[in-house]
Amino acid sequence: MLEYLGKELALRFRIGGVEIALNLVVAAVAAGVSVGLVLLALWLRRGLRRDPDTPLSRRATVLAVTVDLFQNQLLGGISPRLARQLLPLVVTLFFYVLLCNWANILPIPYIVSPTQDLNVPLGMALMVYGLTHYYGIRTKGVVRHLKGYLEPFPFLLPLNIVGDFGRTLSHGFRLFGNILGGVLLTTVVAGRFAPIVVPAALNIWFGLAMGTIQALVFTLLTVAYIQVTAD
Amino acid sequence: MDPQAIVEAAKYLAAGICMGIGAIGPGVGEGIIGAHALDAMARQPEMANTLLRTMVIADAIAETTGIYSLVVAIVLIFVV
Repeated sequence: MLEYLGKELALRFRIGGVEIALNLVVAAVAAGVSVGLVLLALWLRRGLRRDPDTPLSRRATVLAVTVDLFQNQLLGGISPRLARQLLPLVVTLFFYVLLCNWANILPIPYIVSPTQDLNVPLGMALMVYGLTHYYGIRTKGVVRHLKGYLEPFPFLLPLNIVGDFGRTLSHGFRLFGNILGGVLLTTVVAGRFAPIVVPAALNIWFGLAMGTIQALVFTLLTVAYIQVTAD
Repeated sequence: MDPQAIVEAAKYLAAGICMGIGAIGPGVGEGIIGAHALDAMARQPEMANTLLRTMVIADAIAETTGIYSLVVAIVLIFVV
């Protein structure tokens, strides 16, 4: 039953006594989602016209609505300069996490959500952690950025450092735990108790609804973390 | 009694207790967040969008400890 969680198709190799398992299914689905997003973006971009006076095509309208939504809803509270820099990252991250969460509801065996493997969410959380430092240094300079760790009092420095790690860890674990919990529940119920209608309802809630909410939360927290250090 | 059987029994019991107690805190916390957000939205409906965004973030942060206990429970069942 649980072999559908994709743990069986792992590529194992040893580097210096440490066994490393590369989960091929997760890597393939994650790469597939990336390729799909790039193709979707290219397809949508072809709808843009050079001449700004012509009426908007359908694809251009989709783009405009998306950008407008993200600018007003997610990036509404931060300074316009930083919002402009963050917009591509935030839109990409949202749709990547969203499609990764939704990959699980495809009725194909062995296709799993990449986000139910801890490596994917934690990798994205680490990327966001790096970006907070990047934007912090870029907007405030190295000295003022590092001085931020001494606030509000210098003796809180250890607490600030631990808080940084805890924040990153919980950022990754939150997405992982939510998606894996939903997947486990759906798999167990479908395999043991009610194989016909109930899994579909569970998929709608845990796959579609929770996937969207968690993608939104992940992006919102990304914006919040970068805003705290950089704005 | 077989020691392996005791470990087996203890791990399911531990997972259940971990998840059950771990869900209390986030449940209470999210209830408080939702109640206060509704209060604020009823008072100032024009702020509803901003409040909703802040509420979702606060919910996600309140949920973190619950997710930790879920991860611990999953580790107990599938890894130990």
